[in-house]
Amino acid sequence: MSFAKPTHLSREQVAEFEREVNAIRDSVMNNLGQSDVDHIRNMIRICRASEIGGRALLHFGVGPLSWVAGVMALANAKIMDNMEIGHNVMHGQYDWTGDPSLNSQTFEWDIACDGEQWRHSHNVMHHTYTNILGKDRDLGYSLLRLTDEQRWKPRHWFQPLANLLLAMGFQYGVGSHDLEVGRYTHGAMSKEEFKGRLNRFLTKVGKVWFKDYLLFPALALWSAPRVLAGNFCANLIRNLWTYVIIFCGHFTEGVAIYRPEDTLNETRGDWYLRQLSGSSNLTGGRLFHIMSGHLSHQIEHHLFPDMPAHRYTEVAPKIQALCAKYGLFYNTGSLFKQYLTVMKRILTYTLPPKKVTA
Amino acid sequence: MSNAPIPVATASARWVQSINAPVIAALKHPWVESIVRLSAVEDALGALHPLLSLTQVRARVVKVIDETASAKTLVLQPNALWEGARSGQFVRVSVEINGRMVDRAYSLCSRPGARRLAITVKRQEGGLVSNYLHDAVKVGDVLTISQAHGDFVLPAELPAKMLLLSAGSGITPVMAMLRDLQARNYQGDVVFLHVCRTPEDLIFSGPLQAIAAEYAELGLMVHFDESEGRFTPHTLALAVPDLAERSTWMCGPAGWMDAMHAYWQDEALAPPLFSERFAGAPLLPTTAPGTPVDVAFAASGATFTTQGTEPLLVQAERAGLSPKHGCRIGICRSCQCVKTHGTVENLQTGEVSSEPNELIRLCISMARTDVTLDL
Repeated sequence: MSFAKPTHLSREQVAEFEREVNAIRDSVMNNLGQSDVDHIRNMIRICRASEIGGRALLHFGVGPLSWVAGVMALANAKIMDNMEIGHNVMHGQYDWTGDPSLNSQTFEWDIACDGEQWRHSHNVMHHTYTNILGKDRDLGYSLLRLTDEQRWKPRHWFQPLANLLLAMGFQYGVGSHDLEVGRYTHGAMSKEEFKGRLNRFLTKVGKVWFKDYLLFPALALWSAPRVLAGNFCANLIRNLWTYVIIFCGHFTEGVAIYRPEDTLNETRGDWYLRQLSGSSNLTGGRLFHIMSGHLSHQIEHHLFPDMPAHRYTEVAPKIQALCAKYGLFYNTGSLFKQYLTVMKRILTYTLPPKKVTA
Repeated sequence: MSNAPIPVATASARWVQSINAPVIAALKHPWVESIVRLSAVEDALGALHPLLSLTQVRARVVKVIDETASAKTLVLQPNALWEGARSGQFVRVSVEINGRMVDRAYSLCSRPGARRLAITVKRQEGGLVSNYLHDAVKVGDVLTISQAHGDFVLPAELPAKMLLLSAGSGITPVMAMLRDLQARNYQGDVVFLHVCRTPEDLIFSGPLQAIAAEYAELGLMVHFDESEGRFTPHTLALAVPDLAERSTWMCGPAGWMDAMHAYWQDEALAPPLFSERFAGAPLLPTTAPGTPVDVAFAASGATFTTQGTEPLLVQAERAGLSPKHGCRIGICRSCQCVKTHGTVENLQTGEVSSEPNELIRLCISMARTDVTLDL
């Protein structure tokens, strides 16, 4: 994986590409309406029902089958709350409705990541500076080496293990992301600033732990171990699932990485091109798309982060056709195939780079 | 005469509040909210019964009265959170139209203290909310309304001589005042003068005649523009010769009221003239890009004047302010805020919008009129 080559398109073609992408965006954004609100409210209803059902099964169920069902239902609720609801609402996809419960700037979700810190690390940093090395901190999450351009250090021998731990505790990885520990240890962030961020993160962790590992187990009285274990497993499943989906969005084979100096004076068209070549899609059915929060349409999501996500399925064929027209790579594949390339990359860059012999 | 506000909350509303307030405070606590969201509680209550809510005044439409061909009165039964109103005040009615929440102010025409509320809605050509209320709302539906607001009210101590003056759909707040006067058994001298185009356009013709029949202190006059000619301040002076002795409450179209105000000034009439601007969303003339406009940050009190074609974010920073922001290219919404008033152009789509209380992104919005932001 190396830096993106300059686009083969002429400036006029980039401008034309920009116009065509804008037209696709407008075709959806100009007819947002009741069905979009109905969709997200429906998702919220299903999510709530799933959480209530899951917790009820864990608390009052008898036997291992009800426990498994409870874990699955609760994991489902947490996944929906994170992906199709939280992530998308916090992008401002439903701000146009004027419904205060769907307001991007005040929404808070059920995960160890503070909403406000997420809005900064994800909406501001990742979505603006997508795949720019040194700016987009989602690139390897400051933990993994995923390109030749990142310097190899001995700690990268442990990369496969680090990857596994990140997958299992993904919510804490996401939650602590905005701390920018590296910047702090290098003296680029004041102690006060860091302490403030750390406080916010730990408070949020405290809230989710209090709920899942203290309050609900305590309410279950003698079933406390059953509930505690169930909540832990539901969180684990959610962590693994969100990890897989998100890693397949930007770390697959063929995803381009940019140098900051290559992205100076970007036009909107250049920005679209970078979003396109910096993202990869997953193929699947409607249920799969919903469970991935439509991040299976990572390309469309990065082009149009504030478009209601369930509309991505509608614009995807148009974007794909546009890519074919301009000779651009539209990176898509099955979850299995895409994740395989992610793993390959993680393992490849575990090894130190071969010495180039003159 | 005193303008001291009269406490309007009924005993039952105060009782509900005393139970409700701590529950809401608890639910809004961040540690509770991370377990159960207030919106989830609200949705669950709403599913149990559409009027149930901890935070919103909801009101069921119990009756729809066709006043004229283009005006309907909606009689509303509010839930227990309703704190009551003074005559002349308005409520904001929120409705969701094609997925979007919109609200408009409507004066109450019902008597303060009445068990039911009433608003009268004139159908506006091309109006989003008025047409929706006319066409889509039927008996049994539930609307979300605000508490009563507005300073256009009758004082606790009433003057000896009064004039209630209205034109068109401006009759609604003064109708509430008239009902209030009758209920308070006001024994002074009150003239109710209403102006409309034809007898067919007269809102509340039935109730007005009924009140006139049983309320001796009332002098009721209706002026029909079509048959009697345009109503001017001169017409008013002829119809109400003792104008200089009457405190006046007035509501009507903006231009018409401007003429009346000018007359009061010219004649230097001593008794006060109170008026209510009735237009919901004032349509401001859009200035050409580059014209100097004033931007006000309502919460912080900061103001600055801008000209040029740059986004509001850049202009605010140039004026020494530092509003919260992120990507600066319209992606992240960190700089999103409520524009309470004014017209902005979206620099990405070119869309020009004057809608009050609208969410805008500072980094891609340019002021096209004076703008007030909730920052």
